[in-house]
Amino acid sequence: MILIPCPWCGPRNVSEFRYADEAKVRPDPNATTPERWRTYLYMRDNPAGWTTEKWFHRAGCRRYFTLERDTVSNAVRAAEASREV
Amino acid sequence: MAERAPIARSPISPAPPVTVEYGWEISARRTSADLRIMDCTPLVKILVRASIDGGVARALEVPFGRAACDERGVLVVGSGPGEWLLLAPPGAGTETVRRVEEVRDREIVSILDVTHGRALVRISGEEAVDLLAKVCGIDFSDEVTPDGTAFRSSVAKLTTDVVRDDQDGVRSYLLHCERSFGQYLFDSLHDAGDEFGIEIEGFAGSKALSQPG
Amino acid sequence: MRSATVQTRMPMRLGPQPGEVIDRHRPFTFTWNGERYPAFAGDTIISALAASGERVFSRSFKYHRPRGLLTASFLDPGCVVQVNDEPNVRGSHRRVEPGMIVSAQNAWPSLRFDAKSVNRFLGRFLPPGFYYKTFIKPQRLWPAYEKVLQRFAAGGRTFPDSPHGYYDKRYAHPDIVVAGGGPAGMAAAVAAAEAGARVILVEEEYELGGHLRWGSEDELGALRELRDEVARTPGIEVLTNSVVNGRYDGNWVAILQRNLPHVEERLIKARAKVLVVAPGLIERPYVFRGNDLPGVILSTAARRLINLFAVKPGERAVVLTANADGDAAVADLERAGVEVARVEDARRGGDIIGARGRNGVRMVECGDGSRVECDLLVTATGWTAPTSLLNMAGDRPVYNPTAARFFPSRPSDDVLATGGISGDGSLDELLAHARATGQEAARRALKVGSALRAGVPRRVDVEEPPDMPPIEIPELPVVEHPELFQGRTDGIVDFSEDISSKDIVAAAKEGYDSVELMKRYTTATMGPTQGKLETVNAVAILARATGKTIEETGTTVWRPPYAPITLGALAGRNFEPVRYSPMQPWHERHGANPMVAGAWIRPEHYGDPESEARNVRENVGLIDVTPLGKLDLRGPDVPKLLNLLYVNQWNTLEVGKVRYGVMCAEDGVVLDDGVTGRLGPEHYLMTTTTSGAATVWEWIESWLQTEHPDWQVHVTPVTDAYASINIAGPKSRELLLRVAGDVDLSPEAFPYMNVRTGTVAGVEGCFMWRIGFTGELSYEVHVPAAYGLYVWEKLMDRGADLGVKPFGIQAQRILRLEKGHLIVGQDTDGLTGAYSAGLSWAIKLYKEDFIGKPELSWQSECDNSFQLVGLQPHDGSVVPPEASQIVEGENEIAGRITSSCMSPTLGRSICLGFVAPHLAEPGTSVTVLLPNGERTTARVMEYLAHFDPKGERQRG
Repeated sequence: MILIPCPWCGPRNVSEFRYADEAKVRPDPNATTPERWRTYLYMRDNPAGWTTEKWFHRAGCRRYFTLERDTVSNAVRAAEASREV
Repeated sequence: MAERAPIARSPISPAPPVTVEYGWEISARRTSADLRIMDCTPLVKILVRASIDGGVARALEVPFGRAACDERGVLVVGSGPGEWLLLAPPGAGTETVRRVEEVRDREIVSILDVTHGRALVRISGEEAVDLLAKVCGIDFSDEVTPDGTAFRSSVAKLTTDVVRDDQDGVRSYLLHCERSFGQYLFDSLHDAGDEFGIEIEGFAGSKALSQPG
Repeated sequence: MRSATVQTRMPMRLGPQPGEVIDRHRPFTFTWNGERYPAFAGDTIISALAASGERVFSRSFKYHRPRGLLTASFLDPGCVVQVNDEPNVRGSHRRVEPGMIVSAQNAWPSLRFDAKSVNRFLGRFLPPGFYYKTFIKPQRLWPAYEKVLQRFAAGGRTFPDSPHGYYDKRYAHPDIVVAGGGPAGMAAAVAAAEAGARVILVEEEYELGGHLRWGSEDELGALRELRDEVARTPGIEVLTNSVVNGRYDGNWVAILQRNLPHVEERLIKARAKVLVVAPGLIERPYVFRGNDLPGVILSTAARRLINLFAVKPGERAVVLTANADGDAAVADLERAGVEVARVEDARRGGDIIGARGRNGVRMVECGDGSRVECDLLVTATGWTAPTSLLNMAGDRPVYNPTAARFFPSRPSDDVLATGGISGDGSLDELLAHARATGQEAARRALKVGSALRAGVPRRVDVEEPPDMPPIEIPELPVVEHPELFQGRTDGIVDFSEDISSKDIVAAAKEGYDSVELMKRYTTATMGPTQGKLETVNAVAILARATGKTIEETGTTVWRPPYAPITLGALAGRNFEPVRYSPMQPWHERHGANPMVAGAWIRPEHYGDPESEARNVRENVGLIDVTPLGKLDLRGPDVPKLLNLLYVNQWNTLEVGKVRYGVMCAEDGVVLDDGVTGRLGPEHYLMTTTTSGAATVWEWIESWLQTEHPDWQVHVTPVTDAYASINIAGPKSRELLLRVAGDVDLSPEAFPYMNVRTGTVAGVEGCFMWRIGFTGELSYEVHVPAAYGLYVWEKLMDRGADLGVKPFGIQAQRILRLEKGHLIVGQDTDGLTGAYSAGLSWAIKLYKEDFIGKPELSWQSECDNSFQLVGLQPHDGSVVPPEASQIVEGENEIAGRITSSCMSPTLGRSICLGFVAPHLAEPGTSVTVLLPNGERTTARVMEYLAHFDPKGERQRG
């Protein structure tokens, strides 16, 4: 059970969170092509190593934030709140 | 024929004897057990949403993660980033809303009376910490969660707001969840407390919230 | 003199021993295989039986050879017994209790005469991989094989009606967990607690002390001192008869606690800041012919029996010793009055070739070929380091030939080792190592604790302790020990699985020459002892068979659990949140059939769903729709949000109006639907499907927090804040009029698709929506939840003369299907695009942006997906079950039925379904394949609605 460092609540059990996808940028819906849009929809980097992810603290502050995680060691670091309230 | 006033009911079925007070159907049970559980749902619950550092935040004075009783006996809970929960005695809703309305500046502020939307339970007694260790993964030691701590976590697999609100030097916690889960939360806590001799105490306005002072 | 009579029946019981754990003042009896046996409080099942002279406790797994005591500890492979209705009890660990009913397992029909012991003579037909190779073909015989194998499988009996018992879990947040309560574990715990750490000290046996408990006077003195220190040092929680069962990511440590009076077993989920591993060493058996005969025991077993339980292990003994513990066993045996006929000292070339006997040792063949008659053979040939918990933290133990055992190799920040697992040395050296380890663990743990607390933003300031310099942990010496694994003959390696040294050599010859392959092929190390007795021997034998060294061969990886755990402890108490509406007490009193919908319990019907549906068409019905998702939306940017979420247009919604909306995901698939009403200039109420309520809220927050953080909107879920009652039917207005206080209900003042706020039955702050899922004139009333039951009862009371009746989910599903309203998730699935679902009228591609827009605009240009249509079977008495396929030609799939029912209003069957585009034209006849293989035909209808397609009734 890894600890996820929530930027609002502090370190909590991962079971309180929902993984909410690799961090990625939504293409401009009015200027996109089917290739670009479907890459956004379906393609993931899935690296063995450090990756940037979006997490949702479902059983806590209910904030989305980004987090860097090493998919090999499960080490996590530097979560940045994705929205300054 | 005069219409009788509507009766409000908690989602937690009251332990007999049952009576009606403050317009709510409540349990009148009293106990002297060291570990007690009380359905505090009749308390007024006001949810305030505002910016994390605006006029409302400054007036309420309580940051996210903390809870404090104000001079009128309202327990102000910093329940989320830019989110506060105000707990007040039954009937104090309008007054509490008015006071928040007064301090709002030009930011967007939402004030919702969620008295009906939430269930509220208080557990009192030193062994509350052992009870909660059976249902919640948070460290309830004094170094990590001292009196006046507020947080939201999973309690018996249910997302629950927890406030440590000691009374007269005795360890005490308020637990607060969506109304429809109220009976489930109450039953789970009661079952977890069975080995410590937990007993039900009926709602008493004077014991549900600490007195200002 | 009751105790005196009992004691005479324990012929092997010795006089009082200085370290004994039995209470001679508390004798009692229990039952073993149907006969009564005496015992003292503190005895294990096996020590009590051994005191009475019993030597055979089970039959071996494969060959049904008689097995006795080997280790006298939790691991003892031949001492697994049935206790009352509990199978697989570790008889050398479990304390015997008065009246306990104990029986042998894996023996049929009895322990003394075991029919299956013919397997002993069939041994050569049960080579490794026997089951894999033999019971394969023909496949039709599998059920027969299963029966045969079941009878021959080891294990006790389970009883389906055994009481469940109370199993529990709890969380813990110690600074340090110490795994192992021997001298090193105790010293480490004391040192850590003295340095300010909160410690959980976990010991598998019933009392602290480890090997000191069966030691000399000096060792017993040291034990008393250590126990006193543990008892008087604050901050140490001692768990005995408990075991650290696993270490997971983030030092999440699973502790199985068995020592509680009111709980069968409790699983403690401890977030340890530092884990100290101090399990000591496990004595290793020696492999030779006859090494599994009852009476062949380890030196630690002999010492435990004599010193802890005052039991004489035999009358005449041969001892094979390679170390000081073996020498101490010789001294103990002599003191206990056992005749030590021969000591074979392996350090000076002594050895054992084999043991003989039928149900126990009768004679031993020594290294020089001489034969000695005896009933006891004690071996002390070395140690296994149980490095399991270190493995789980990433360590890979390395073999050290000098000490003839594996050692930890990779130090880690949050897992430290001490005691015998780390090295040898005098007791003082071990204790010094343990104390330094405890201090260093405390230093690291307090630092981790500070960092965790500092990670919580905006907490009150607590003064944190300053950083301390690291504590230097002295190196423990490594004492030379002969490498003794297998003698000159073959014998049993894995006592639980009945795997011999020959089996391992055979596996190597067949090509299973890596340790992990050999393990899986032979099942050596996979039985109840899980490698703790047999791993090193198995590795050594494989190494020799493959001509490699033990270092080259390596060892298997130890995984959780360290000790067996019951399913009850893993399950714990049942935490399954359930939700009830405020009207639940009324539903229960009125015979509602409960239905589980997500976490909600809802009335499916009140006895007769079709008549409930008819009553809605004819009079008026009430349905509890509290679980409908409700979101309170406030702020100036709500229209922007609605335009983004829904495919339709929201700029023009006036205050007091409601509108139906459809949400799609970014791939254009229908996600949810519902109505949203405008309550005030900057105040809206959104409804979602019941099942979608939580998802939609998280979805909205995701868009607001990550894509549009600048928008001024607050979204608050209020599903539970309102009891929601749908009043439906031609008489609904009349009923509502009787209780509505201040709202003008006339059709002109309150038309269809409008919302009003007011008082209902004296309750203020209610919302009334004029909408309808049923197709009738209907009002959805949202009442502050605590008054829900009150208002519901008022409506029932005041509407009695109008024929008001409740209706459940089933009646609502009939009514909505008659009306042709789709249900997201029932009539759509994870691939259903909005055009396909017949929602093209709602999609406004001219909007600047909305979720799924690009995908929907491409779909609008070329969409050849199936279309949702209304369908009526030509034979109105046939109701094609939901998910029936629509086919063309030879079973080519051309659609499916998504909803179907018998319509009480129309008196015929009706459906919704998907059909291929070329079949979607109204009037087309399609073929429906029924589950029984028959076919029926159905007509594609002009509208989705089968009843009142123009919607005149609901607008009335």
